[in-house]
Amino acid sequence: MADLLTAADESAALEDLHSKGLTDGLPVIIPTPTRVNRMVLASGLEADMVLGTMGPGHGIATIEKVAVAAVMAGCLPDYMPVVLAAVKAVIDPVFDLTEMQATTHCTAPLIIVNGPARHNCGPISSGYGALGPGHRANASIGRALRLTMINIGGGRPGSSDMALLGHPGKFTFCLAEDEENSPFPPMHVDLGFDPDDSVVTVIGAEAPHSVLYSGDGDDPKGYLSLLDMLAIGIANAATNNAILTKGTATIVLNPEHAEVLNKAGLTRQDIAEEIHRRSTMAQTTINKLSPAFAGKDSGNRDAFSGPEQLLILMSGGSGLYSMVMPSWCAGPHKNSASCIKVESEFFCEVPGLANPVI
Amino acid sequence: MRDGVNIAKLGIPAVSLVTEEFWPQGDFVAESLGMPDVPRVRLPHPVAGTGVKNMRKVAAEVAPAVLKALEGNNG
Repeated sequence: MADLLTAADESAALEDLHSKGLTDGLPVIIPTPTRVNRMVLASGLEADMVLGTMGPGHGIATIEKVAVAAVMAGCLPDYMPVVLAAVKAVIDPVFDLTEMQATTHCTAPLIIVNGPARHNCGPISSGYGALGPGHRANASIGRALRLTMINIGGGRPGSSDMALLGHPGKFTFCLAEDEENSPFPPMHVDLGFDPDDSVVTVIGAEAPHSVLYSGDGDDPKGYLSLLDMLAIGIANAATNNAILTKGTATIVLNPEHAEVLNKAGLTRQDIAEEIHRRSTMAQTTINKLSPAFAGKDSGNRDAFSGPEQLLILMSGGSGLYSMVMPSWCAGPHKNSASCIKVESEFFCEVPGLANPVI
Repeated sequence: MRDGVNIAKLGIPAVSLVTEEFWPQGDFVAESLGMPDVPRVRLPHPVAGTGVKNMRKVAAEVAPAVLKALEGNNG
């Protein structure tokens, strides 16, 4: 059972949580026992069930403690299966949570949701402004994960989270893939899951960098420019990807750009291969621009070890801008993605609160 | 849409061309500028970047609707 705090009223409780460093700086929903118990009930799991340890503070993540974060973040009980999957994803050793929380780099866990949970545990937006304000599930699921990283993992700015500046995605960073309109199979299917599975993929990511491309329908080779621009965005000389190399990074194609590449006959794997091939730089250039990370004087340095290091999904509104999220590229697992299947079979709908399953 | 409203407010016949994806935004802007009924014609989305041939085709297809909207302005 988590420790209980007492306060005269909710306003006093909020000030107490702020003063103890238990929030992300924004107001939170006070995690009263009633609210937390309701969230635990929704999970269908035991309150004291241990999910794992969260670094760098090595706090133990139980269902109840995650439920506290979900309440504070403003989640509906419906979102709990996705929140739990996201927490499990960052706890997985492949994610290197301790190192990632402690780094000076500007990295945050980007949560990508695929499969039926996008509807059943949301709706989790994959449309206009999916990474911006106005989408309750996106906003509160990502925020819940961050609050677990603060209150269970102990990541606090300047003492244990040493990000020099951070980025706004450290408040919340969650979106779904627009599977219904994408010309490609869902990302989780290409990662080896079944289409009916719901999967949360979490990847340490910088803030979105825009990649501008306006096609030319008269030029059948125009798509090559789009591939060039995406590669420049994801692995330009200023990124860790170009210099430190071998970290997984994310590309979010908007529907228009996805269609340009699809019309050119490219699959997701082809796109990844083409961008991987372009994400390379002469060693002499790197030596000149970044002498602290100089290498040999000949040949090229590839940003990625292979096309599998590029996570590619379609999301957002239709237009001229796709987004790339370069990455940190450090830690024992070199900034790997962590994929966890959403377990919703235990999920217990709370009468009057949970939405009907679509 | 904003251009269309501003020109219409000057008393010059105007019609805004709005693509399918941005139609709701067009409604919002027209409403917020106090001219919810400003004439507009719907275009497919996208138009930019689809090539000269396609853009000429779109232009030919919507030209009658543009003229009709302008006649409405004058009426």
